Amino acid sequence: MTAPLCHPERSEGSLRAKSLAATTLQNRALTTDLFQLTLDAPAIAATLAPGQFVHLRLPNPAHVLRRPFSVSAANPEAGTLDIVYQVVGAGTAELSGVTRGASLDVLGPLGRGWRPPVGTRHALLVGGGVGAAPLLPLAQSLPAADVVLGAQTAARLVGHADFAGRVGADHVYITTDDGSAGQPGFATDVTRDLLAAHPYDYVATCGPEPMQRLVAALARAADVPCQVSLERRMACGVGVCLSCVVTTTTGRARACAEGPVFDAAEVAW
Amino acid sequence: MTINIGGLTLKNPFTTASGTFGSGRELAALWAERGIPLNVLGAVTTKGVSLEPWPGNDGVRVAETASGLLNSIGLQNPGVEAFCAKDLAWLATQDVPVIANVSGHAEADYAAVIRRLDREPAVSAYELNISCPNVDSGGMAFGVDPVAAARVTAACRAATARPLIVKLTPNVTDITVIARAAVDAGADALSLINTVAGLALDPQTGQPVFDRGVAGLSGPAIKPIALYAVARVHAAVAVPLIGMGGITTGQDVRDFLAAGATAVAVGTATFTDPFTLPRLIAEWTHPSA
Ligand SMILES: Cc1cc2nc3c(=O)[nH]c(=O)nc-3n(C[C@H](O)[C@H](O)[C@H](O)COP(=O)(O)OP(=O)(O)OC[C@H]3O[C@@H](n4cnc5c(N)ncnc54)[C@H](O)[C@@H]3O)c2cc1C
Ligand SMILES: Cc1cc2nc3c(=O)[nH]c(=O)nc-3n(C[C@H](O)[C@H](O)[C@H](O)COP(=O)(O)O)c2cc1C
Repeated sequence: MTAPLCHPERSEGSLRAKSLAATTLQNRALTTDLFQLTLDAPAIAATLAPGQFVHLRLPNPAHVLRRPFSVSAANPEAGTLDIVYQVVGAGTAELSGVTRGASLDVLGPLGRGWRPPVGTRHALLVGGGVGAAPLLPLAQSLPAADVVLGAQTAARLVGHADFAGRVGADHVYITTDDGSAGQPGFATDVTRDLLAAHPYDYVATCGPEPMQRLVAALARAADVPCQVSLERRMACGVGVCLSCVVTTTTGRARACAEGPVFDAAEVAW
Repeated sequence: MTINIGGLTLKNPFTTASGTFGSGRELAALWAERGIPLNVLGAVTTKGVSLEPWPGNDGVRVAETASGLLNSIGLQNPGVEAFCAKDLAWLATQDVPVIANVSGHAEADYAAVIRRLDREPAVSAYELNISCPNVDSGGMAFGVDPVAAARVTAACRAATARPLIVKLTPNVTDITVIARAAVDAGADALSLINTVAGLALDPQTGQPVFDRGVAGLSGPAIKPIALYAVARVHAAVAVPLIGMGGITTGQDVRDFLAAGATAVAVGTATFTDPFTLPRLIAEWTHPSA
């Protein structure tokens, strides 16, 4: 039995979190089930780091739990936060009905974001579906990166134009399971080829967990440091309830406080 | 006006429901952004602490239900030594009474945790969790049998002179039987209710969402069950009661006090809004505002 771990001293994110009423500036459909929400939340936008998340309270009080979402863009000057979300259940369906001007209760920034090794020059970012969202601000913060985006189908691809704008269109590799866009197949196939062809110094991935696990294994085989962003069912979002634990090599860690971004090497898959 | 819970004096009737507030550090940081100190609370009730570290349960640990929450955390905690070194050391600086929530697999474990915590001046009282549905040995097993409830209460009573609160489960035929057994064995006060046993199934597979099958239901969905339990126990025993179960609004607080509770605890509503307790305290302090 591994000893449980709680590292309050590592959860800097939550310790700087704020709770505020944010005005919805925009909530538009990108495709049938993907939406982009823009919130006016200057106090959160000012300090949010790439890979951190916010916890949104739903308008219907029958939902006792907030919903966690990564931030795809934080603009400190404009004071805004962008979230890209997929409608998967009752809460996200309700969120998709929120109209411009409506107030949403937002808690954040939460958790620990991406921590590329100091001096990272050339990174490889691998996003699956809506998991690409938290990689966008990371791409912005790195000097150079190749980006692999995978999705079931073209309509589930997230952020390809934004990534192209940041790293250059010829550095964005697209795969779809059904071949409706980019190369038919899985993001992990392209990841394998890219890792063999280029000397990356950092790999970051977010998306379905089996994909992240495989990317982590490929990075390990190529001896490149890798970070993953893990989703767990959360209640408090600030580290008190121990709902969202991830089993690590040193015990259990909280996805909302020590994560959601973890060193792949410390995750006990 | 102060509140007395079996010898524990509180400046107001509000505490945290164990397991929903950690030891207070994270929420205190959030509250500080609005200039609210941790000691607006009557007391902090800590996450359950056991003699040795417990890893908690595998698999999914929470699921939302209509106006409720199912959890199967399994009392994950770092053990009493780490609790003293980290959590209590910090709480000692916060000028707030601390109710330590105690868990165990066996009678002797509960008493041993209390003997260790009795050396810590930062602890004001104990709350015995004999009502958690999420662990196999111990936990709720003590809370569904009056003989076992009396024995563990007596063992802890012998270990401390501090106020001893016993936390009851609603998952029994007659909660007043357990309440009387605990009071007769030396409980100074009772807390009620712990979570209601419940099940969630995965719509795709028809299999239980939680690895242990059973999980504990909390939140507004259980308020009527909790209120009924408080009213019945109030009629059956003379000790003060800490009422909890779904408390979210000022009206909920008034209902529990009217049903016979001397104090109240807020749990799940802190997840919905981390400022629930400060809001309820402000409303109680200045009813007109
Ligand atoms: C740190 C983090 C960042 C996330 N970022 C994004 C994002 O940028 N875009 C996006 O579309 N989704 C994101 N998710 C997933 C998102 O939180 C869920 O899709 C959402 O909570 C589903 O709510 P629902 O009510 O529609 O679904 P339901 O299935 O009805 O939800 C029931 C319960 O399960 C929880 N839940 C369901 N799926 C997930 C999941 N995958 N992860 C965690 N909890 C879940 C819900 O929060 C809710 O409590 C993120 C999750 C985490 C933990
Ligand atoms: C996530 C979670 C963890 C809990 N952990 C504990 C615990 O460690 N010890 C305990 O006595 N009760 C625990 N409880 C029960 C609560 O303290 C409380 O009795 C119950 O949730 C009802 O109150 P509420 O509806 O306000 O949440 C826990 C409840 C939740 C939701």
